[in-house]
Amino acid sequence: MVSTNEYIKNVWDTLRSTAIGLKITGKYMMQKPITVQYPDERMPIPDRYRGIHYLEQEKCINCLACARACPIDCIEMEAIRHGKELEWVAFTLDYQKCMFCELCVYPCPKDCIHMGTEFALVTYDRSELNHDLLSFKGMDRAAKIRMREAEEKKKAKEAAKAAKAAAEAADDKGDKKGDDKEGGDGAKA
Amino acid sequence: MSLAFALQESAEAAVAAAGRIADSPHPGDNVFVRLHRWIGPPEFVPDWIVVLGGIGMGVGVIVGIVSLIALFTIWLERKVAGHIQCRYGPMYAGGWHGWAQTIADGVKLFQKEDMVPVGADRVLFLMAPALVLGSVFGSLVAMPLSYDWYFARMDLGVFMILALGSTTTIGVVMSGWASNSKWSLYGAMREAAQVIAYEIPLGLSLLAPLFALGTFSLLDASVAQSGWLGMKWAIFTNPFLIPAFIIYAISALAETKRAPFDLPEAESELVAGFLTEYSGIRWSFFFMEEYAAMFLMSVVGAFFWFGGFESPFTAILRGMGAEGTIFFSAVCFLTLVLKGFFGVFLMIWLRWTLPRVRIDQVMSMGYKYLTPLALVCVLGAAVWEAILHLIFG
Repeated sequence: MVSTNEYIKNVWDTLRSTAIGLKITGKYMMQKPITVQYPDERMPIPDRYRGIHYLEQEKCINCLACARACPIDCIEMEAIRHGKELEWVAFTLDYQKCMFCELCVYPCPKDCIHMGTEFALVTYDRSELNHDLLSFKGMDRAAKIRMREAEEKKKAKEAAKAAKAAAEAADDKGDKKGDDKEGGDGAKA
Repeated sequence: MSLAFALQESAEAAVAAAGRIADSPHPGDNVFVRLHRWIGPPEFVPDWIVVLGGIGMGVGVIVGIVSLIALFTIWLERKVAGHIQCRYGPMYAGGWHGWAQTIADGVKLFQKEDMVPVGADRVLFLMAPALVLGSVFGSLVAMPLSYDWYFARMDLGVFMILALGSTTTIGVVMSGWASNSKWSLYGAMREAAQVIAYEIPLGLSLLAPLFALGTFSLLDASVAQSGWLGMKWAIFTNPFLIPAFIIYAISALAETKRAPFDLPEAESELVAGFLTEYSGIRWSFFFMEEYAAMFLMSVVGAFFWFGGFESPFTAILRGMGAEGTIFFSAVCFLTLVLKGFFGVFLMIWLRWTLPRVRIDQVMSMGYKYLTPLALVCVLGAAVWEAILHLIFG
């Protein structure tokens, strides 16, 4: 049996606590939601987040340092060398294996592989998880130009060399001839 | 004329058990007669087709109302719940703030398999959702939509609503028993205990405004509150009506099985209570009933405490002589809908604020607190009205 005072107190407490609760939830209801509409907008991601890699392919020299550093061998790369320039065949990173340890980033001598901030690894098929990090296959345009220039330079050099050699050879001959008939050469000059 | 008369009689005979058809002090007949006059079916159509058509249209209108209420209220509930928890709620379906989410969910529920458990009592199991939904359909017949838009003019409209509203329990107990599941039966037993406990304070607290307004009819209750530039609401005329309304609100929450009194469902204790074994569209029937009952309870509260159709807008329009026009009726209807949905909003707000109470707390609250307090309110309201009557006479 409850006393009258307790009875009134119970009624009062119920009403009061309900009012306080309504006030609190009402405050939250008026506040702007803290969630974001995910695929359309995203929460800011810290710079050192270890997400999906990205590769600065122009800088890469196919040294295999990252592939060798990888503890689970998920990086595969292949390139054909044309002199100093590279013709890219493949640079794949298998995200079924990758554990985002960042060990591939540190040994890179050209600082060309990085951890990105993209984290959504959703695919319809497992094979899609084997990402191709190449932005272009074959040779870069600039590299092609550089290679052509280098080849032209080389050709020019070789031509010059050949010309020089020929001239020298001619000189040698001329000297011999000149020795034979000095007056004739002098008359031509 | 005979056709119209037959229509009115047939439509009202269905609900006349609870109410007597009064001579209308307001312009206009019930919606069936108005529809009949508007369509004007040719003479060769037999009477019974017209009558059946009228009944069909009436049922269609009520089904439409229930569906619309459920659609909007479920969306509102999800949005309010979301914002109370600092998130958005549905945002994509339909474009604008996910307004079509409920329609999408309804389509999904329609496609789902209609399952009956192996040990279930098949007939009762399949009948229970229809009975539950039927009770709220029946109650809505007694709800006038506007001063001259109503299905039936009932002097005892509140009794009709209370009586039919409590038959929901039969459906719920039926579903719990027929499901052949412990959880369902526990839920149904709780529902029965809870509804019996809260019928008493609900009815008693409704008595207080009935003293103040002097009528059982929802339409007349609204008329009685039309003074003071549309603000002569019952709650402002009698101080005992304020605690009576609080008691009514609490009992209405318990009657509609809403949190903090959602013990029959109690998803953290009883899986889903009496809903455990239901799936697909039958499951959604229970939900439609819940939301329609919430709206109905709010509307009854609006009629007997907060002026029904009356607001300063309607008073101004009446002053301008707009009474009887479709525009005036529409404004009355909108006023009522706004008041009803404000009540629904309060119920949703309470649901996301308070934790569920224990069954012994539910019982003690109903029997030890609400019932005696409701009696005090009834006595106080009666004495207050008597004193007013003595003074102003």
